[in-house]
Amino acid sequence: MPDEIRRLSDDLARDPSSLVFMPLADALRRAGQLDVALRVALRGLDRHPYLPDAHDVLARIHADRGDLERASDEWEMALRLDPSHAQANLGLGFVEFRRGDLESAERRLSTVPPAEQTPGVAAALAHVRSALGARPTNGAPVVVPNGSGPTEPTVVPPAAARVPTPPRSTQPVPEFPSPDPSRTKQLFDSVLDGSDQHALLVDGDGLVLAGAYTDGDGKDVAEVVAAELAGVSSEAERAMRHLGLGAWTSLLVEADDAIVAMTPGPNGSLLVVTASRKTPVGLVRLLLDRVLARARDWLVRVS
Amino acid sequence: MTKTPYAELLAMLSRHRGVVGSFVVSERDGLAVDSNVQIGVHAEAVAALAASLHRKARLACGAAGCGVVTFLRLDAEKGGILAAGRDDLVLVTISEARANIGLLRVEMMRAAKALT
Repeated sequence: MPDEIRRLSDDLARDPSSLVFMPLADALRRAGQLDVALRVALRGLDRHPYLPDAHDVLARIHADRGDLERASDEWEMALRLDPSHAQANLGLGFVEFRRGDLESAERRLSTVPPAEQTPGVAAALAHVRSALGARPTNGAPVVVPNGSGPTEPTVVPPAAARVPTPPRSTQPVPEFPSPDPSRTKQLFDSVLDGSDQHALLVDGDGLVLAGAYTDGDGKDVAEVVAAELAGVSSEAERAMRHLGLGAWTSLLVEADDAIVAMTPGPNGSLLVVTASRKTPVGLVRLLLDRVLARARDWLVRVS
Repeated sequence: MTKTPYAELLAMLSRHRGVVGSFVVSERDGLAVDSNVQIGVHAEAVAALAASLHRKARLACGAAGCGVVTFLRLDAEKGGILAAGRDDLVLVTISEARANIGLLRVEMMRAAKALT
């Protein structure tokens, strides 16, 4: 495994835009180097945001980190890009299984085509169907899954008393959940490192799409900041056009009390990250990359 | 032509790898106080653009409660603009992608403190 990781790392160093980041991130994940795997996958997705397999790899990393919500987001993204993506279906089935939503898990796993039904999928499906058959009459799930990854679901054996399988809901499983407006303020919480960091996604008119910004007194000043900084981005665009240096890629402003970084986002949007002066400047740029990757995913889902 | 107090500083910055021009600009009116640029760089236009960008960033940071702007870096596909300000005067360099930004940043922030 270390040889494989070394070889893949060398390949990626030789050509940072290649797709080798996917097997490298997955090898790192399997080796238990989850933080490094996450960085590799996010950087790769920054260059190749529309690759379903890359989202699948990132989802597996999140799953191994125990972050099922983000894993679910990534698998949903993979399915959005490729509705027949078997591994994404398997992964989402695993998440639903872990959450005790056995009916949805069973439906999801059943969609994996027979040709792609690995022994792991078949075993997972058998476990889910077995657990469905053992569900107690009060409706509470008896399954307490504790698997560490989407390919390794572990199931507590079904209870002895079998009851008839409850009728399946006629409601289809939504392929993509609608965004919850109340959660848009927390969109970037998981990619920021501390309470002294803020991130905003702003549309082309300077209106806040997602994220939060509070001042030192805890007052929400996101709208004011977004409107002011949107003007800076248009100025940056104008300057680069005149200088013939190509499209602007990022703007970093160091001030007495904070560092502000921004970068153009999809569809004319703008990503803004602010951090306290204690934060190293290089780290702010890294945070900006992470926020951009998160925003891209989110925008694809809501648009 | 009269030599300004900034000529030596600008010449030093322009010797850095990848730097195609350096200026001292008045942020208020966008006029270049002094410049050291390679042939082909339109000093007056660049000075005005850099001053405008710095002013916008300063106002935005003030509104956002971030304090006084000390350094600004705008990156583009083929290069970028660096600016370090003090009061009305702003020290600006235009660089290509191969420039050593870390070194330029340190030198510009140090030099900006001496701008009067």
